Order: sequence, then C-alpha cells, then structure tokens
Amino acid sequence: MSENLEPNVVAFLCNWCSYAGADLAGTSRIEYPPNLNVIRVMCSGRVNPLFVVNALQQGADGVLISGCHPGDCHYMEGNFYARRRFSVMKELLEYVGVDARRFNMSWVSASEGAKWKEVVSGVVDKAKEAGPFTEFRRNKIDW
Amino acid sequence: MINLEKIRDIAKNTVSRDDIKYLIGWRQGTYGFRVSPHFVRKPEEAEELIFSPLCSNNLATYLTLAEKRPVPRGQQPDTRKVAVMVKGCDSRAVVQQLVEQGIERESVYIIGCPCEGVVDQSKLEEKYPGTFGQVEARWENGKISLCFPEGKTEVVGEELLTQKCLTCRYPNPVLADINLREEVAARGNESFADVAELEKKSTKDKWSFWQDKFSSCIRCYSCRNVCPMCYCQECILDKLNPTWVNRSVNISENTAYHLARAFHLAGRCIECGECERVCPVNIPITKLNRKLTKEVTEKFGFEPGVDVEAKPPLVGYRPDDKENFIL
Amino acid sequence: MNNKPKIGVYVCHCGVNISKTVDVNELTEYAKQLPYVEVARDYSYMCSDPGQLLIKEDIKKNGLNRVVVAACSPRMHELTFRRALAGAGLNPYYLEIANIREQCSWVHKDKSEGTAKAKKLVSAAVAKARLLEPLQEKEVSVEPATLIIGGGIAGIQAALDIAGAGFKVYLVEKTPSIGGKMSQLDKTFPTLDCSACILTPKMVDVASHPNIELMTYSQVEKISGYVGNFNVEVRKKARFVDFEKCTGCGVCAEECRLAGRVPSEFNMELGNRSAVYLPFPQAVPAKYTIDPQRCLMLTRGKCGKSPKCADACAPGAIDFEQKDEIKEFKVGTVIVATGFDVFDAARKPEYGYSDYDNVLTGLEMERLISASGPTGGKIVLGKGEGEVIPRDIAFIKCVGSRDKSTGNEYCSRVCCMYTAKLAHLVKEKIPEANVKVYYMDVRAFGKGFEEFYDRVRREGVRYIRGNPSEIFKRNGKLVIKVENTLNSTPLEDEVDMVVLAVGLEPRKDAREVIDLLRLSQSSDRFFLEAHPKLAPVDTATEGVFLAGCAQGPKDIPDTVAQAKGAASSALVLMASGKVKVHAQISFVNEATCRGCGYCVEICPYTAVELVTVNKMGNEVLVARVNEALCKGCGACAAGCLSGSIQQKSFMDSQILQQIAVLGGK
Repeated sequence: MSENLEPNVVAFLCNWCSYAGADLAGTSRIEYPPNLNVIRVMCSGRVNPLFVVNALQQGADGVLISGCHPGDCHYMEGNFYARRRFSVMKELLEYVGVDARRFNMSWVSASEGAKWKEVVSGVVDKAKEAGPFTEFRRNKIDW
Repeated sequence: MINLEKIRDIAKNTVSRDDIKYLIGWRQGTYGFRVSPHFVRKPEEAEELIFSPLCSNNLATYLTLAEKRPVPRGQQPDTRKVAVMVKGCDSRAVVQQLVEQGIERESVYIIGCPCEGVVDQSKLEEKYPGTFGQVEARWENGKISLCFPEGKTEVVGEELLTQKCLTCRYPNPVLADINLREEVAARGNESFADVAELEKKSTKDKWSFWQDKFSSCIRCYSCRNVCPMCYCQECILDKLNPTWVNRSVNISENTAYHLARAFHLAGRCIECGECERVCPVNIPITKLNRKLTKEVTEKFGFEPGVDVEAKPPLVGYRPDDKENFIL
Repeated sequence: MNNKPKIGVYVCHCGVNISKTVDVNELTEYAKQLPYVEVARDYSYMCSDPGQLLIKEDIKKNGLNRVVVAACSPRMHELTFRRALAGAGLNPYYLEIANIREQCSWVHKDKSEGTAKAKKLVSAAVAKARLLEPLQEKEVSVEPATLIIGGGIAGIQAALDIAGAGFKVYLVEKTPSIGGKMSQLDKTFPTLDCSACILTPKMVDVASHPNIELMTYSQVEKISGYVGNFNVEVRKKARFVDFEKCTGCGVCAEECRLAGRVPSEFNMELGNRSAVYLPFPQAVPAKYTIDPQRCLMLTRGKCGKSPKCADACAPGAIDFEQKDEIKEFKVGTVIVATGFDVFDAARKPEYGYSDYDNVLTGLEMERLISASGPTGGKIVLGKGEGEVIPRDIAFIKCVGSRDKSTGNEYCSRVCCMYTAKLAHLVKEKIPEANVKVYYMDVRAFGKGFEEFYDRVRREGVRYIRGNPSEIFKRNGKLVIKVENTLNSTPLEDEVDMVVLAVGLEPRKDAREVIDLLRLSQSSDRFFLEAHPKLAPVDTATEGVFLAGCAQGPKDIPDTVAQAKGAASSALVLMASGKVKVHAQISFVNEATCRGCGYCVEICPYTAVELVTVNKMGNEVLVARVNEALCKGCGACAAGCLSGSIQQKSFMDSQILQQIAVLGGK
C-alpha cells in the first residue's frame, strides 16, 4: 500500500478571528495548499487538548489550533486558556516522541488574510517534512 | 519513633467519636511484605492498625468513594466524617481533592503520619524472593528494619526505598487535624532528573521507549482505580457516547489512553506513585506524569496539593504566559 | 422521540465562484452516498429565493430533518439558511454549513484538489449534522436606556436622536464640557460654517433635553452584563465647584492666583487659563471646574491667606471638600463615541515641530485662526513687541498618515480638506500672503469638496506636488527641502510659518474603553466594526455600537451620519423591547458533573455557578449555566475533565465526528 505523501492537517479555527481571517484570504483569492481542513469552533478556548491526540490518532499528520491575538478574544479570555492548555499538551506530545513539527498553534486575526496563507503553508510544510504519521493511527477494521 | 500502641489508641478514640463514620488505615496484608487498607468501624478493629515502611497505599483515594454510593430509599445520607491516615504525599492528595471540591473539609478528619519513606515492594521481592510469611517492618535510625516470620531481622538502607521517597520534600502531611508523631526532615530536593534524562533523547528514541512500554499495557485500569485524583463518576475514557478512546487493547488505543490520562492529571498529580506501584506490567507511569508536573511547576509556578486556597493552573492564566511556540 | 436522521445536502455553484474550481456535480454525487443522506442537490445560487425553496420543499416532501449546505462561509449566510429551515417548519439549528468557497474554491486552483477537499468538508458536515439537536432561542428584555461614551459631535447627535425617540440617554464625557474636537475648530469645510455656531445649538439641546442625563467630567469605570441588561458604574469626578450654585459668571477665573499661567488644553497650549476654568466660552454645562493638578489649594493645601476664587464667588459655589461621586445605573445599549487624538508631530522630527515655534499643527493653526483663540483670531508669530504677521506660509500634508515609518499606513481622510480650508482662511486674513501646499495627493471626495478645492486654488493658493524631506532654519526663515515631482525640480522654499496637516490617530486611552467592553481593534488600531461593509456601526459585542472617529478617521458629515446610524441600531433593540439570547450556549449533565468548579473559574462571564442538588440521596454540588449570561464560547467545555459541561452545537460528540472524517484519508 503506497502512502500518499501529501500530508493531512486538521485545523481548529475560532469563528471570530481566525476563521474570518481564513475567509478573508479566500475573498482576496490568496492561494495556499489544500492539505489543511478546518473545523470551526466559536473560540480557541473550546478546543479540548485531547482533540489533538484524537486527530493524530484518526490519521492527521499535523494539527493546527488558531485563535485571536491575546487581548482580542471575542470572549475575553478563551485564547488565554487555550494558550496555557496547549503549552502543556505540546510538551506532553514531544515527550512521548511525537514530532514537534506536527503540533502548531497560531494567532490569526480577522484582518490577517495574508498571514493565514503563511500559517497554512508553514504548517503543511512542517507536516510534510515530518512525514506521514502512521505509527499512531487507529486500526480501522475492514469487516 | 513509631509507637503502635499510641497510634491504635488514637484510632480507637477517633472511631468512638459520634461524628466519625469510620477510619481508614493500614494493616498487615495476607502474605509477605503486603499491606492492606483497613476500614475500622469499631474500636476493637483498630488493634490491627499499623504504620510502617511497608505502608505504600495512598488511602486518600477512598475518600471520594463516599459520594458514589446511592442512599437507599427512606434513609438519610450518613454525613459523618471519614477519618483517614495519610503520609506526607497522601495528604497532598487530600488537599488537591479539597481544592477541587471533590470532598468537603468538614467531611474528612485527617490523621497525619509523618513518614521516613516507604520501601519499593518490587525491590524487596527481588532481594528476598519467595517470602510468604508475613513480614513486619520498622524505621530505625534512618534505616529500615525487617522482621521476618522465622525471627530473622535484616536492616536495609535507602537503596530499597521507592524512587519518590528519595527526593521527597513533603514527608510531613501538609494538612492534618492531628499528627501521630513529631515532624520528619525532608530527604531531598526536586530536580526532575528522571524526566530530564528522557527529555534528552531524540524524538525517535522517545517514541520507541514509550511505544515499547504502552504495548505491554493490558488496560486493566489499575492505575486509574488507585489514583486519588481519578474520581469522575464516568471517566471520559470509558464513555461510548462520545467515544474518545476505544476499549480495544492495541498500541494505538493504549497510547491515546495514557496520553489522555496524563494530560488530565496535569497540575493535579501529586506524585504518590501508586499508579506505578500497582501496574502489573511495570509501565513507568510516574515518568510520564512527572513530565507534566515539571512543566506546570516551571511554566506556572504551581505545585498541586500544597495550598487549599490555590487555583489550579489550567483554570487560570496570566496575560504574560509564554507563547514562543505560537506562530 | 428519536427519529432517524434524514439529511439533505445542497451544493451551491455560486455562479462560477465555486463551480470553476470545484466539480459540483461530482461533489453532489459523492454526497448522495454518504450515510443518512436522503437527497443531494446542486444549484447555481443556493442563497437565492429559488435556492432556498429547493430546501424548503425537500424538507416538506422528503421529511428531511437535517440540512447541510455546501456553499460560502457560514459567516456569510448561516442566518439566511437558518431562516429557510424555520420557514419550512424545521428547527433552524438542524443546519450545518460546509465552507467550500472562501476556504476551498477561492484558494485552490487545481480542480481535482479542490473537489477532493470539498468532499471531505461535506462529509465532515454530514457527520456533524447527524448529531445536531434542536435549540431554542430565548428572549430577554431590553432596558429602554442607552449609555453614550463620549460627548463630541458623534455622541451629541446620537444622544439627541435616541432621546428624541423617547428613550433615556446617559451621556458621559471625560472633559468638563461636551463638544469634543469640533468645538476647537474655527470653520468647517466645505461650507465654511462657523463650527461653534452649528455645534452649540446641539450642545444646548443636549443639556436641556429631559431624556438626556448629561454627566461631564465623568468616566465610565465598569460595565458588566449583556445586551439589554448592562450594569454601568460611572465616576463623576469632583469639580470642587457646586454644580447647583455655580452661575458660570467667571469671576473666580479672573481672581485666581494662577490666572493666565496654566496652559490651556483647549487652545492646544498656545494660550493660558486659570486653575479654575471653563474650557471655552460656549462650554456646556457652563459650570467652572478646578484643575486638581494645578490649583494651589488642592496641591499644597493652601492658597495665600485664603483662596481668592472662594472669596470672589458670590453664591459660594467653591467647595474644596467635594468628593468624587459614583453613579450606578442600568442600560440596554451602549454607544462608543470616544473620538480621536491628533498625530503628535514631534514623531516626525525632520519637520522641526519640537524645535521651531513657527512650525504648527493643523489643530494649533485652527486655534490661532479662531476668534475665541489665544490671539483673538490673528495669525501672528511671536508675542508682544516681537509680534509679526507671516507672509510666506506653507502647509505640508500627510503628516503621520500614509506613513509606514510612523505606523499609520492609513489615510486620515480629513487633512486634504482641512488644509484647503485653512489655506483659504489664511488668504482671507492675510490677503497678500504666499500660501503653498505641499502634497502627495489631493483627496476631495465629498459633496462640495472638489468645488472648494478649485476655489481655493483660484484664490491663489499654490499646490506643489512633493513630500518635503526636512525643515530647517536659515537666516531667520524656515527652509523646506522638497522636490517638485511634477517637473522634477529640487527646491529649498523659504517660509515664515509651516502648518503640518497632522492625521488622526486612535486615542491614547483607547485601552481603557477596550477593557470596559471587550472591543477589538482593526489593524489601524481604531475600534473594529462587526463588518467593514455591512455593519460599520456594530461591534462584535451585541448591544454595543460605534460612532464617529472612534471607528476610523472621518469628517463631520460622515460622523453625524454614523452617529445617526448607531442611534438607529440602538433604537431597533430598545424599541422592540426584547432581544434573542444565544442558542449555542453551554449546558451541564448534572448526572456526571462532580462539582469541581473548574468551569466556574474558567467562564469569562461568570455564567456558571455551583448549586446543591440531591443526587441519589446525597446533597452534592453540581455546575449550572445561567443561560442569559452564557455567550457560547465553550471554554468551560474544554476544561471539563469529565466532559459534563458541553456547548450546544459544538459538543464533543459532534466535533469528534468531524475530526474522524477530516483526520482520515
């Protein structure tokens, strides 16, 4: 079975900033790699760090969480909690031997369409370098 | 010096009180070096209580049992206190449970047992294989004296203590209603050397190390059952709706299980080491948990189970938390 | 009643916006075979009436109970399609949108890649839709009162409109008088109306309107609550003058020991005032204020033998014991009209603003020209004996605007016109003056603007295209070094006076307002509107609106229009008397909640609290969500170790389904 060398990245974007910023990139017709798929949440604070573990287990080669810049969270504090939680989860993943290039977090505001392109390209490149993450994948039984 | 008479007297008096439901302590186990938890409901039962270097069990894990039991119809809930004997590390579990309101301060009577260190049972069994008669132990002048059933006495040193005891900073309970003996000097300082050693390895080596350990996991959940901080009525790792981790025993699910549990213990694990003690396949679980303790201490300056008023690190934040990992 | 999910998938072409780079037919066929999909259609414009009709009919005919629309961003049309569902009798929260335009067809040129990604996004949306639940939108009442922060022309106009509609207005202004920057202007472009003449009637209306409670020299300290129910705390700073007793006669200011020795902020420190002062003659309210930083009595505890102002005041209005007063009240809506600051010309050191007295900013020139200004309206250099009328006057535009080096890349919008106006006024006062304007562009975009610019040039003002590089002094004259870019000639023009057309910047104390209301800033640091095109007066916070330069540089007609817009938005809420509460809020499964209080700590809106319940005979604590306060961020859900608190429409079960689809190949 040949492994598709294009990485698959799952991203969690907050509705008010990063998702809007990604939309702006679209409105501005800025092109970027198609390897990243977005799950919309209302706030980066909604993202349970265990989602990252689950995403990697489901087959993602990379994960991205993106929210509002600190101080600008639409819900005041959600991104501060996200920052703390993921600073810990990141360490745990690295300690267990998950390539650090697979986990990413960014602040992208609603007006940063250009930055979104840079973030996506960077994250996809890193996941590509790290290679397909087959070792953690959940065994899907083919009945 | 441990005065067993005095301890048993205190226990008897405690259990005789009107406001105490029962007392949880230790007693000799069924064979060898084993020690069992002992639930004392009547003063006579206190005669079997012991406190020795063999008492590894963290009894704080039983405190949260109370809330799980439904009250039979027509009866009133028994709101009397539960008395519990805790060593230094165990008391931190009680404090952390209080912080999380898993228990109420008025519902527990803490009997502090300053501890000079407990032995690593596996090391003992390796040194003295085939010991089936019940063994007694005592702390004596910085060493441990073992009394074998045939009358033989052996004195062993620090090398047989558990790893956690060698760097123990809290031999005396951090919170107690009464202490059984005078305070004991702390043995060591925390440097997270075991964690640092693993951190130095390459990503590939780390992954093989942990995959090798996780592949032996049989998902017996002993680690979770014995942990004083794992007391959710329905653990999310057991849930089917939604299913976070499948119950199948394979390397992928095992890895996910351990990662999830470790993360949920971040800033809560008080390093009693019970998980590692009870693991039937010797997974170095504390090595995993202590990594997160190190992170939480270094990043947020927080130590779990020390201050009842403290706010757990992951429900707070500071505007200047580091974000050098964020793009 | 647990019925089997019957999902309808609707793929939009969006003309060619989607269909050009995503194969919509292939996508529709793919959708048909996804689990629980009853029907899958594609159409050119799903948001149009016929498009929505497709959905409505399928719901009725096929008994659909979930709808997935694969189209533009949900931020665009989520509401449109929710209404379509509601119109067909289906709970509007049974909708899930897959963004295959902004985040797919518009950003991926390769059709096969775009289609493959669109398939994944639709599959994830279908997987989530299966688990969606019906949600109710509750209503809360709206307090029929508005708080307006800022008493410039924007705040004043909004206050008059709302009060005129019969609602209560609390107008809070930081300085002792309302009027804002407009009160500092002499004449306004392009009509050359006297600024004070058109402003003061409105100011007086505000003061006398029965529905407006004016609080000047006051600051908003705290705002809590949510739309329709804001709790406001205002600090009314002590003026040390009894409001009721003061008649505004001004004798205190004449007698003050520091008369003529305190720089006047209103006159841009070109003139002086007393320690007890009225900011300007037409101030509203016409009540004096004692400057606590300067007054000898307040700073040193004594003023000669006795304070002269107190001695001179016949009604006995001076009161050095006066304390700040805290006023608390409830409002339904808030309008932020806090205005702007001018660019500090000292940040362009090459123009010599800090070095030479004869280099002024536009606003300082405005005070010089104004009849109520420090020189009585005379344009002069120097004082007393050394007073001289300048002959050669230059204006430099775009100072601190359109300038990356100062961090302001934007155009300040008013400077071209106010420069033309000031140039005209100079020619009027000094007919023989040589007036030059150095420009990069001339933006005369508004009604009457181009005509005014023409007139000014016909009056003899010379426009030279070039951005000066520096200003220095030589033989008593200011020298402007510049290149005339239209004929490529380097020049060193000698002038007597330079006016820098400084731009508009967000206020330095903007952070205080941001913290009060959790406002966001756009990249130019002015307050962020909800949508730059379609919601220029709304903010991301429901019930909070923006008006005037707080949102971005603009002139007076645009400010007034926007103030009227903000007032109208506030009135929409208050006139209907009720507002819908968020539906996608958190809820607690009390059976599994163990009352640890993590969610209570986390919630930024204190919307969760611990309550005692009886669980199987035991009295235990569990968390409970206050639905009116919950804003639906979900931070609680991510912090809950037992997964007991969840966010509707963003539950762990739903997100895990999305992860399962998007993570797989």
